[in-house]
Amino acid sequence: MIMNALLILIGKLFSMISRLLNVGSGSTWPGHIALSINKNFIKDIVKKNPHLKIILIAGTNGKTTTSKLIRTILQKNKIRVIHNESGANLINGIASVLIQNASISGKLNSDCAIFEIDENTLSLILKEIGNPDFLVILNLFRDQLDRYGEVNTIAQKWNESLKKISEKTTFILNADDPQVAYLYLASHLKGACVKYFGIDSENQTAEKTQHASDSTYCPNCGKKLIYNSIYFSHLGNWECKKCGYKHPSKTFTKSPFYPLTGTYNEYNTNAAVLLSKELNIPTQIINSALHEFKPAFGRQEILNINEKKVQIFLSKNPTGFNESLKTISDLKAKNLLIVLNDRIPDGKDISWIWDVDFDDFSFQFKNVVISGKRTYDMGLRLKYAEFKNFKIEENLEEAIALSLEKTSKSEILYILPTYSAMLETRKILTGKKIL
Amino acid sequence: MKQSLTIGWLYPELMSTYGDRGNIIALQKRCEWRETGVEVLHLDLHFNPNQLSQCDLLFMGGAQDKQQQIVTEDLLKKRDVLSQMIENGIPGLYICGAYQFLGKYYKEANGNILKGLDILDLHTENPGENSSRLIGNIAVKALNNKIIVGFENHGGRTYLGAQIKPLGKVIKGFGNNGEDSTEGVIYKNSFGTYLHGPILPKNPCLSDLLIKLALEKKYNSPIQLSPLDDSLETKAHNAISKRLKIKI
Repeated sequence: MIMNALLILIGKLFSMISRLLNVGSGSTWPGHIALSINKNFIKDIVKKNPHLKIILIAGTNGKTTTSKLIRTILQKNKIRVIHNESGANLINGIASVLIQNASISGKLNSDCAIFEIDENTLSLILKEIGNPDFLVILNLFRDQLDRYGEVNTIAQKWNESLKKISEKTTFILNADDPQVAYLYLASHLKGACVKYFGIDSENQTAEKTQHASDSTYCPNCGKKLIYNSIYFSHLGNWECKKCGYKHPSKTFTKSPFYPLTGTYNEYNTNAAVLLSKELNIPTQIINSALHEFKPAFGRQEILNINEKKVQIFLSKNPTGFNESLKTISDLKAKNLLIVLNDRIPDGKDISWIWDVDFDDFSFQFKNVVISGKRTYDMGLRLKYAEFKNFKIEENLEEAIALSLEKTSKSEILYILPTYSAMLETRKILTGKKIL
Repeated sequence: MKQSLTIGWLYPELMSTYGDRGNIIALQKRCEWRETGVEVLHLDLHFNPNQLSQCDLLFMGGAQDKQQQIVTEDLLKKRDVLSQMIENGIPGLYICGAYQFLGKYYKEANGNILKGLDILDLHTENPGENSSRLIGNIAVKALNNKIIVGFENHGGRTYLGAQIKPLGKVIKGFGNNGEDSTEGVIYKNSFGTYLHGPILPKNPCLSDLLIKLALEKKYNSPIQLSPLDDSLETKAHNAISKRLKIKI
């Protein structure tokens, strides 16, 4: 279609100019323009490329890391992939990736598309692409309630749109998340098959239930679930004593290697490895890809700044924040910078910081600096968690400078930012924009 | 004699979706910092109503619809004890869903009517899927012209009966229904409000009012709370007032 060729051309030009001007390399504008002129743009391109395998990754936490894990393994196996690696996971972002990679005729020179999808966009994208080859659902936690609504609302929306999926799709679901595992049952899914990942570990059971648990009641009958073990938040081996619904048996729980620390990354890795096995990728290839894996931007990414190491742990909701704190505390972190923003991608409501279990870490860190648009809210949170001697610096550049100054050369500065705060922090540290 | 308070936290597992735990933390810490003994009773599903009457101060937060339905059933069984306590002036803070519960009914978006506890003369209606939720930072003039700040996020619109007073007047934001400039409710020593944030940490005057009322009720004598260093609370409060372009 001439129209689409023109849209692809305009989009490519647009991307080229924005790259030249360093105003963000993964701009979503080409997709935005294409979709506003031809709302079937994605549908058209997908139709043009029937050979293309499509893998969708959804969930509250871990989308970007899991997508990158899958990408790394597939590429190691010489599979040509396209991927929304900048994390632009709304419909515009997906269209933009297609534009970047398509020829003027709309043909894609790749075997596989890996798309991480925003919670609210999953239904929309399913309408466009029909039946993906794989649908990975990682978890469902409370996140940006002002933007996404409550966890149950999202689960319901997903249920509705998953019902329309055909036998072509393989589901890769987290068995340890009751709400996610239930998607299969509730939607009477027709998918070719469903494979469950999870973890199984005797020594990882959390001592107590975390406050930010969302789905500890049976998704089938509403009765409180019994947990034989809890790994974090509401993830664990669960069972309903009333209706008998329980966590499905897990196909895959132990990767040969975990490239990133933290229990949450065991889940991400297990999901990626399970999917790769479904694609018949040899274990050896998977293993060496995992060893070569480099974290995605802001997700445990390590930067070297003036001979000092900085590691960024994106922390954007209670469960993610709890896991980051636990992980850096296990790494014996001494220096911590927390950056809290309330821009649209962060969620405008910062109430969630009170669902983070800061109290367990009040004496853990030697130097704590806080910054961001809602610095003082974070300050109050730390004060009421009995943190002592933390420094408040509203100006992010100065906060980073101060934190680096306090960090000695043999130590690491750990930065826990919300989403927009992570982008701003990276820009200050590297001088480059990612989005 | 060292004073002490027992705080009853209603349904911490089910009714705490929007960081409302921060309110309990604020009350608890501000008691501890003044060396007032404090115990928090977690009153979860199927709690014994006798536990309620041990409490000097009550708190209940908001939740997801599904969880709210589970709670309704349980709470209706304890309605009389709760109503008696509210009538007797036992102080309490009821946020969002909990605030709506105290009223006569909640009309859902699909027209379905959920029975409330019918303790206060108010009711809530959700105007339907086509009306947007009331979301954003909010500032209210309340408690002798003080500015109270928070964040609201609710689909339901609450309307107060003629005989009952709002907590305050909306300066920025929507409040009870986005129409009549009222926000929340105040009845005897009970406060209902849509303000998350959570409300108490950034508004220490309200935390202290609740603590003071609870102590006075329990010890049946006037209480003067010792002052705390609230400079950080004031900064957090002022930062959001400034953002909302309210003169401090």
